[in-house]
Amino acid sequence: MSNIIVTIIILAIVTGAITKVVIEKRNGNKCIGCPHGKSCGSSCSCDDSGNE
Amino acid sequence: MKVALTGNPNSGKTTLFNAITGRNEHVGNWAGVTIEKKEGEIKKSLHNGETPIFAVDLPGAYSMSPFTSEETITRDFVKKENPDVIINIVDATNLSRSLFFTTQLLELGIPVVVALNKSDINKKKDTVINTRALSQRLGCPVVETISVAASSNGLKELISAVVEVRGKKQQAPFDGSAVNMTDKTAVEASDKKRFEFVKDIVSEVEHRKVSSNRQTRQDAVDRIVAHKWLGIPIFAAVMWAVFSISQTFVGPYLADTLVGWIDGFYGWAEGMLGEGVSPVLSAILLDGIIGGVGAVVGFLPLIMALFFLLSLLEDCGYMARVAVVMDRFFKRVGLSGKSIIPMVIGTGCAIPGIMATRTIKNERQRRTTAMLTPFMPCGAKLPVIALFAGVFFEDSAWVGTSMYFVGIALIIVGALIVVRITGEQNAKSFFIMELPEYKFPSIKRAAVEMLSRAKSFIVKAGTIILLCNAAVQIMQTFNWKFQVVAEGAESTSILASIASPFALVLIPLGFGVWQLAAAAVTGFIAKENVVGTLAVVYSITNFIDTEELALVEGAADVAGLMGLTSVAALAYLMFNLFTPPCFAAIGAMNSEMENKKWLWGGIAFQLGTGYTIAFITYQVGTLLTTGTMGRGFLPGLTAVIAMISYVVYLMKKGEQKAAAKTALSV
Repeated sequence: MSNIIVTIIILAIVTGAITKVVIEKRNGNKCIGCPHGKSCGSSCSCDDSGNE
Repeated sequence: MKVALTGNPNSGKTTLFNAITGRNEHVGNWAGVTIEKKEGEIKKSLHNGETPIFAVDLPGAYSMSPFTSEETITRDFVKKENPDVIINIVDATNLSRSLFFTTQLLELGIPVVVALNKSDINKKKDTVINTRALSQRLGCPVVETISVAASSNGLKELISAVVEVRGKKQQAPFDGSAVNMTDKTAVEASDKKRFEFVKDIVSEVEHRKVSSNRQTRQDAVDRIVAHKWLGIPIFAAVMWAVFSISQTFVGPYLADTLVGWIDGFYGWAEGMLGEGVSPVLSAILLDGIIGGVGAVVGFLPLIMALFFLLSLLEDCGYMARVAVVMDRFFKRVGLSGKSIIPMVIGTGCAIPGIMATRTIKNERQRRTTAMLTPFMPCGAKLPVIALFAGVFFEDSAWVGTSMYFVGIALIIVGALIVVRITGEQNAKSFFIMELPEYKFPSIKRAAVEMLSRAKSFIVKAGTIILLCNAAVQIMQTFNWKFQVVAEGAESTSILASIASPFALVLIPLGFGVWQLAAAAVTGFIAKENVVGTLAVVYSITNFIDTEELALVEGAADVAGLMGLTSVAALAYLMFNLFTPPCFAAIGAMNSEMENKKWLWGGIAFQLGTGYTIAFITYQVGTLLTTGTMGRGFLPGLTAVIAMISYVVYLMKKGEQKAAAKTALSV
């Protein structure tokens, strides 16, 4: 029983981390862990609108 | 309702944007920090709140005739996106330069409100600007603002003026719109007239006590701080002080407390699991997830202290002086003086640093800067530096400081090589940078920047690092038949079998063991992973308390835990710092370089540089400390010579190309 509980805890943590990564990516945060990750959208997505 | 925030570089647009929207975009006390437009809703407390007002922060521009790509963004936005009102942020301390752009904005037919920013600095200098007279001459409202002040900052009055002018016509005081932009002489004549017009306004509305051509105390300080030779030792001393405070004194003190809490949590979780839980599950949860993430998070106070100090340096205006000091070296190796800006930004994170290279017009200089910017140790590499400085060098501040200087040296050498390979060694570049005034740095701004970094660090630790550590723990626990690896047979694990081929290549660098190779490889996902993976593979949760590390090993010599000598540890640190950056930064390189040949060439160059510098460090260091060469000297030397020979061959080819170009031009 304790093994099942620990497995559920691990799965919950890992699922939570994956969900957070997916949400951040969907919100345009290309680089999690960078405070400017959301504002670098056009650069990281190869949209060159800012370039000459 | 949409409001565009425009103005000259470093006039305080982003600070004002943050103040009116409550957002936290990165600001810096120098020109060129904002390179893209940013949008946010203006706080309802600043207006009646019935209609939402959106502010768009635009990159700084000196005129409507763009010279750089970010100036193009500004021009295109105000001309094509039809904002309802333009807030023109004017640097009150530099009125004559700022009003040139203001007069151009007034020609667009969009209502303009002038925010006379930095009014507080003017008051200190006894400079008085008659805002009423200025408003009459320009034909638009002028509001004095101090965007850094918490109260009496003029922001409410500014937004009221914005609401009031919406939809109203304004008469441009100077009309140069009829000029044919393709006729250079006509444009120059019009600009000259405009300058005269602005000069006339300034002479009427501004009264200075201190003449701008008199040498001030700031100029006297600049003569020392930005001196061509003195500037370098001063920069070294400043960085040493920053590392001493953050990595030796304040950081570890705070980190000890945090690590104590993490250890406490680890112990509590261990107690909760008890004996009945499978050792595999227990190891994944305790060592992989809690231990691995905890080891990385343990460095949070050191990183926070470092970013706080770096933010203070940037805000007081010192970093702009560093740019001036480095400019003369960069110009000599074919880089743009502007290259220093991405590199300084890159000390926080390589990605915005690489993105900032788009302000460089010359294609080769832009690509070279994007390729070399990751050599500056970024925030993600700081836990790795802190770990090795703490464990192997007793928290010596020289480790961190010297990594920055090795990074700068590699940039200079790298630029020299690239300019010769491309055959453009005769190209000249010029760099004009407006030095911001020295000022007392804002503690609040530094604290906000520090907390923003800390939040991102924690999010990264709880997501990417956590997932990587869990994966590393699972790969270390099982073999390819998915059976649990027996104690003492760890080298049969999935992780060991993947990392072992890499470890072979790393023998000449002094760290040819699969654990260290695995940590280096996971570092390409995120550099903090190096610390996390080391924590998982060596089952250590506490990298801060070195005494505890010694107990884990059961020996007095902490280095024995990883099987590294101090020299090999330094080589390993350099390898992780100077090989290619994380994948996200490589993605940014790809975007800014816009050329696969440059991208792959850049990655190969970074890999070769990291390998060579680690090889030299380990072999020379071993020779000096033990009197003999280290393991794998000959194979390593062969690899290094092969890489250098290829680079020399490319340089020779480039020289021939340059000679051919010169012959053609003659």
